[in-house]
Amino acid sequence: MLCQNCGNAEATTHIKRIINGEATEVHLCYNCAEHLGYANMFSGFGFNISNMLQNFFPEFTRALPSLDTSERCPTCGTSFEEVVRTGMMGCADCYSVFYEKLKPSLSRIHGRATHVGKSGAYQIESSASPKLEDTVIRLKTELDEAVKVQNFELAAKLRDEIKALEGGAQNV
Amino acid sequence: MSKWYQLQGAENDVVISTKVSIARNVKGYNFTVKLNSEEKYEIADKIDEILDKKLPGKFVSTPMNEVGRDLQISLAECNLVSPEFISFAEGRTLVTTEDESLSIMVCEEDHLKIQSLLPGLELEKAYELSNTLDTLLDEDLEFAFDKKLGYLTQCPTNIGTAMRASVTLQLPALSMRGQIPRLASMVSKLGLVLTGAYGEADNPVGSLFQLSNQVTLGISEEAAIENLKSISLSIVDQERITRNELMNSLKFQDILWRSIGTLKNARVISFGEFMEALAIAKVGISNGEIKVPCERMNELIFTMQPATLNVRFGQSLDRQVRDVKRAEAIRKIFE
Ligand SMILES: [Zn+2]
Ligand SMILES: [Zn+2]
Repeated sequence: MLCQNCGNAEATTHIKRIINGEATEVHLCYNCAEHLGYANMFSGFGFNISNMLQNFFPEFTRALPSLDTSERCPTCGTSFEEVVRTGMMGCADCYSVFYEKLKPSLSRIHGRATHVGKSGAYQIESSASPKLEDTVIRLKTELDEAVKVQNFELAAKLRDEIKALEGGAQNV
Repeated sequence: MSKWYQLQGAENDVVISTKVSIARNVKGYNFTVKLNSEEKYEIADKIDEILDKKLPGKFVSTPMNEVGRDLQISLAECNLVSPEFISFAEGRTLVTTEDESLSIMVCEEDHLKIQSLLPGLELEKAYELSNTLDTLLDEDLEFAFDKKLGYLTQCPTNIGTAMRASVTLQLPALSMRGQIPRLASMVSKLGLVLTGAYGEADNPVGSLFQLSNQVTLGISEEAAIENLKSISLSIVDQERITRNELMNSLKFQDILWRSIGTLKNARVISFGEFMEALAIAKVGISNGEIKVPCERMNELIFTMQPATLNVRFGQSLDRQVRDVKRAEAIRKIFE
């Protein structure tokens, strides 16, 4: 399908919108999507974009032939090729099955970050060091406060503390 | 029963609404893309059962394929469901409180999208609402979670907190002054996205923009909320200052009074024309040029939309008839 804006390139971004009481779908190429301000949006969460592989997994459009894409998740049967093509995981286990292959994309989207914040009722018991995480979250909140009131001396001190704790956590 | 958007919220001269969504997937089920309708309704049944037990009478559960097209689109116009959710109704269920301030889209992209909607800038309150419902459901449904990656979602961009908080801002003055591209690039450096709410992303109807957090991994919910709140407040300030500057210009005063004239007098008005006039009228509100309270004006952004008007009059109105009904309703507010 061709881009509805320029008519030249293949449409890779599909946006569902409600305009004048009717549901419509706009199909755009990557460049036009970016130009029209749609490129930074996410799929779901009200933005309704389905990005195809070039957008979400650019590294695989190049690397795909050399990767073993036939590997399947034993739980849901999704192949890695399917994950790359649709940008969607088939089940929670897909994350651990394809973790190594996904790493470049995940770190491109999220950086090297690991989860901080809420964890479910079932995770608190199994969590190895909840106390450390709680401390980091508390320090980060304090850091935000310090930055807001422009107390940069305190902010620098908090930042060092957080770094030290997070560094320690990664070495465990 | 009134809807959430009929109530008053903080900073509502600039901020129309606040929405906090949390995506969750039930352990033991494949993600939505790999489920059949039966499994999807099974998940909806589980949610209904828990809510009936813990909060009896508070929520109403509606399978989307039992809802007429006008009502489906109206739900999307009022921000309660995504256009994606109604693009394919089979297997999808909307669970909502009567005022629509707290709801769950079941089997949209993820199994659950728990969402709260409040008028004005009410980020902490909205997060509290969604978070409480999440905790309550989590006691009975185990959600897919990984210690490093956080809550697991169908699309890898949402893992971590799987939370998106967004505020809808009406920025007519900053738009008129050509400040939106500058703002958009500034907020993107701070981990947020600014984009048009209705119509085109770069030139939205009625200068309505959505500001939301982009980062879900490596930041706590509270920190993300606080970050979005402080940047929202700074944009609110900039918009107010720019509105005051505009009011000093005779050329703008002329535009303002013509727009107020349109709202008070039009006999036939499209949604687009109404939204443009409303956006300009908003500039005059801080100067007391308009006596209508902000919440009454903001409510119209939802109630005057085409499909929502159809629902109100109980029939799919002809476009021209609808434009007449709209003009009547607006005149009643502004007279
Ligand atoms: Zn194009
Ligand atoms: Zn899987």
